[in-house]
Amino acid sequence: MSGYYIPSEGLQSFAQSLMAKMPVVAPVAKGKRFIFDQLGDVAELRLDYDTTVLPPKKVFFPPKQDLLEFDEGKATSCLDPQAKVLLGVHPYDIKAISMTDKLFSDNYADSNYLANREVAVIIGSNVQTPYERAFYGSIAQDLELVGHDAFLTKISDGYVLDVVTEKGEKLIADLGLADASAEQTSEAEGVNAKADEDCPVKLPFAAGDVSEKVRNSFKSEIWDELSKDCFSCGSCNLVCPTCYCFDVQDEWGLGASNGKRYRRWDGCLSSEFSEVSVQGGSENFRENRAERYRHRFMRKTAYLNDKLGAPACVGCGRCAGACTADIADPVNTITRIMES
Amino acid sequence: MCDGNNNVGQDGNILLPKEVEVVEAKKVTASETHFVLKMKNGDAMDYKPGQIVEAGVLGYGEVPLGFASSPTQTEKTGTFDLVVREVGKVTKALVSLQPGDTMTMRGPLGNGFPVEEFEGNDVLIVAGGIGLCPTRSMIKYILDKRDDFKKFTLFFGSRTPAEQLFVEDLDVWRGAEDVDYKEIVDNADENWKGKVGVITQLFKELDELNPETKVIICGPPIMYKFVIAELKGFDVPDENIFVDLERRMKCGVGKCGHCQINDKYVCMDGPVFRFSEIKDLEEAI
Amino acid sequence: MAKVRCAWFDFTSCEGCQIEMTNFGAPFLQLLDHVEIVEFREVMKETTDEPIDIAFIEGSFSREEDRARLESIRERAGVVIAFGACAATGGINALKNHMDMDDYKKCVYGDDSNMPHLDTQKAMPISAAIKVDMAINGCPMSRDEFVRIVTQVIHGTEKVYVPSYPVCVECKLRETVCRYEEGDHCLGPIALAGCGAPCPADGIPCEACRGMVVDANQESMEKVLQENGGMSEKRAKDKSRMFTANFRSDA
Ligand code: SF4
Ligand code: SF4
Ligand code: SF4
Ligand code: SF4
Ligand code: SF4
Ligand code: FES
Repeated sequence: MSGYYIPSEGLQSFAQSLMAKMPVVAPVAKGKRFIFDQLGDVAELRLDYDTTVLPPKKVFFPPKQDLLEFDEGKATSCLDPQAKVLLGVHPYDIKAISMTDKLFSDNYADSNYLANREVAVIIGSNVQTPYERAFYGSIAQDLELVGHDAFLTKISDGYVLDVVTEKGEKLIADLGLADASAEQTSEAEGVNAKADEDCPVKLPFAAGDVSEKVRNSFKSEIWDELSKDCFSCGSCNLVCPTCYCFDVQDEWGLGASNGKRYRRWDGCLSSEFSEVSVQGGSENFRENRAERYRHRFMRKTAYLNDKLGAPACVGCGRCAGACTADIADPVNTITRIMES
Repeated sequence: MCDGNNNVGQDGNILLPKEVEVVEAKKVTASETHFVLKMKNGDAMDYKPGQIVEAGVLGYGEVPLGFASSPTQTEKTGTFDLVVREVGKVTKALVSLQPGDTMTMRGPLGNGFPVEEFEGNDVLIVAGGIGLCPTRSMIKYILDKRDDFKKFTLFFGSRTPAEQLFVEDLDVWRGAEDVDYKEIVDNADENWKGKVGVITQLFKELDELNPETKVIICGPPIMYKFVIAELKGFDVPDENIFVDLERRMKCGVGKCGHCQINDKYVCMDGPVFRFSEIKDLEEAI
Repeated sequence: MAKVRCAWFDFTSCEGCQIEMTNFGAPFLQLLDHVEIVEFREVMKETTDEPIDIAFIEGSFSREEDRARLESIRERAGVVIAFGACAATGGINALKNHMDMDDYKKCVYGDDSNMPHLDTQKAMPISAAIKVDMAINGCPMSRDEFVRIVTQVIHGTEKVYVPSYPVCVECKLRETVCRYEEGDHCLGPIALAGCGAPCPADGIPCEACRGMVVDANQESMEKVLQENGGMSEKRAKDKSRMFTANFRSDA
C-alpha cells in the first residue's frame, strides 16, 4: 500500500502515539534477554533486540488462558478480545504467526485464539541484531511473508514504515507521518533483500530432502543417541513460535460451586503429554525420551509440511538457546540425521 | 466431519460445551454406567455411528466417549446413549450424575464408520470388553436398517460374564435371526455355559468369511494385532478393516495435539481408521 | 456442602509448613467456609480421636517409634496428604541419609549427641510407613498448590491432577530468563514442578525442594551443572543431596 518515513529520533514519539490509541506490546529487555511486553514507558522499546524468550503468539494464545468460568453448573465463555498493537515482530515470527493462524482456523475455528488475533494490529520489523542461534535465512524460505499489517525497516537515518493492510492504514492514518522518498524506499528494500545474509547459522539442506530423510530415519537408533541428555522439560516446545499444543484443566474457586477451565501450553517432549487413558486404563504411546524427541523433529520437519506449505520451523533458534542440555537445535539434529 | 463447526460447542466457541440432561443412569457393571441423554435448549445431536463426543462435568473436565446408541434411535426418541467406565477423576464425576442432572458435551466429533461403504456388504464386528460401547452404535444401526446390509456377524469377548455390557441386548442377539452372534469370556464363573478363551477362538467357528466383508475391530489395544492376524487368514484386505482407536484427547477438535499418532490426529482423522491407512504408523496399534 | 474435617500432625520437621499455613491470609480464610479444623497444634489446643476427612501430615518418618502414630492417623483419616517436602520426599532431613549416624549426630548436636532420643533411622517420606493419597510438595509447601489440591478434594476428587513435568516448564510459562543464560546454575530440569517456579523468577536457582521428576535425567544434570553451571565434578555430584537425597541413584 504505502510507505512512510520515520526519522530515528521520531521512533519513540511514533510508539507513543500508538500507545495513546491502544496498548502496545513490543520487545523490551529482561535480564540478559528480551521479552514481548506491554510498553509502559516508551523508552523501554528495543527494536534492536535479537529474539525474545517466548514468541509473540503469547499475545493471542497466552501460556495460560481461561476458557470458561462456571458457577452452579452454568458455564460462560472467557472470550474478551482486547485490541492491541504488536510492534516489532521479526519476519520469522510473522511467518510463524501465519502458521498458527492457519492451524487454529483450519477445520474447527478456535475463537479463543482467533478473537484475540483479529483485534491485533501487527507491525513487523527487520532484524537489526540476529540471535546467535538463528537460522531463519535458510528455512521456510518459500513461505510468503504475510499476516502483518505494517513493517518497519531500519535504514541509515531512520525507519521506513510499509503499511500493507487497511487495518494498518487505519491505525496510522491520523499520525501525520511523512511519505518515504523513493531513495528511502529503495534503501529499505535493499536492507530486506539481504536480510537473510546476516543470519548467523545456515541449514544447508532443502526442506524436501530433510523431510524425506527424517521420516525414513523413524526407526533409526540415532534418536536414542541424540536424546540421551534430554530432560523431557519441554522448553524446546514451549519457546517455539509454531508449537501450539495445550493441556486443559479444571480448577475450583474458593466459593462453593465456582471455578474455571483453562488451557496451558503443553509440549510433546513432556512425558505426561502422550499418556493416554483409553477407557479402562492408561498407557503412554511415547514412553521413552527418544520417542518424544523424535516426535518433535517429525513434527518440525515432516508431519505438518503439507498442511502448512513449509516445515513447521521458521529458524528462530529459540529452542536451541532454551535447551539446557543443548540438544534441541534443529540445525545440529537435522545435520546429524542427514549425514547418518 | 468438519462442516458442523458451530455445532460442536456453544456460541461458535468450540471449547464451550453444550448442556445435556441425564434421562436415565443405569449402573450396568461394577464400574460402568449406561446413560441415556437428551440435549437441552433444543439443540440437536446429529451423529454417525462411530463418532465421539467430549462428555464432561464442570469442575472435573471432559473425556472422549463414542456414541453407544444408533442415530436411528435418536431420530425416534431424541435421546442418545453413552457408557462411562469409572477410571479417574472425570469419569468418577460423570458416573455420579443422576437423572435430571446436567452433563456437558461437545460434539459430535471425528469420523465415524463409513456407513455407505458398508451398505450392500457382509459385515463382521469384533468387540472386546468396553469396545462394545462404540460399536453398539453401528450394531444397532445395522439391525435397524437390516435390509441395507448382507450377512452380519458379531463377535463379543469380555473378561468375565459379570463384565458383559448391555446384557438385555445380548439376550436378544443370542436368539436373533438377523445377526450371527458369537460370544466368549476369558474366565468363566459357575453360571457361564458358553465358550471360554480369547476372542480369536471365535474365528475357528467360521466356515468361511467372504474377503469382501467389512470388518470393525474395537477393544483393548492388545486385541487388534491378533484379530488382524486371523483376518489375514481369510484374505480380508487391509482396506476392508476398520479400527476404532479411542485415545486420550483433550480438545477433540484437532488443536491440542494430545491425540496424535505420528501425523494423524485421532480426534479429526479418526477415531475410526481404515487399517490400511494406519498400519505403518508405529504408535498406532 | 458439609464442612470437611481437617487435622494437621507433625513428625520430623521444622513445622515451617504449618507456619506457612498461618501466613496464608485471604484464601485460607475463605477456605475455612468449607473446612473445619479439628486439630492443629500451631493454632489451637484441641485434639481429636474422631474420624477425620483429611489428615495433613508434616515431617518425615525417621524413627520407628513413629510408625504406630502414623498408622493410627491413617486409620482415622479418609484422605492422607503428605504436607510439605519432609513428609512427601523425606525433604532436607534426608541430607543425612548417606552419612553414618554417629557422624551426623556429632556434627549437629556436639557434646549432647549421645542422648537416646537422637537415635534415628534414615529420613524417609511418610509413604514408607503408611499409604499416602497425595502430596503437597515444597519446602515449605506451596500455598497455591495447597489451595488447588484442597479445593479438589473438597469436591470429591481423589485423583487430583498435579504436574509431572520439570520446573523449566513453569519458568517458560512465566517467561523467566533461565539461570543458565544468566551464568548461574539450577536444578530445575530435574525438579518436579507445581510451585510455579518462583525461585528462578526471583533470580535464584531452583534447589528442587519439591523432589525430582520421575525419570529425572541425573547424569545429564551433572553434566549441565559442570559444563554450563561451572561446578566442579564433586560439587555437581553432591548438588542434589540437599532436597532430593532419596531420589538419587545412590539412595
Ligand atoms: S530437548 Fe532440551 S529443551 Fe527439549 S525437552 Fe529435551 S532437554 Fe528439554
Ligand atoms: S523449532 Fe526451534 S528454531 Fe524452529 S521455529 Fe521452533 S523454536 Fe524456532
Ligand atoms: S512439536 Fe510437539 S508440542 Fe510442538 S506442535 Fe508439534 S506436537 Fe505440539
Ligand atoms: S532457570 Fe532453572 S528451572 Fe528455569 S528454565 Fe532455567 S534451568 Fe529450568
Ligand atoms: S523453584 Fe525449585 S526450589 Fe523453588 S519452590 Fe520450586 S521446586 Fe522449590
Ligand atoms: S484431542 Fe486435541 S488435537 Fe485431538
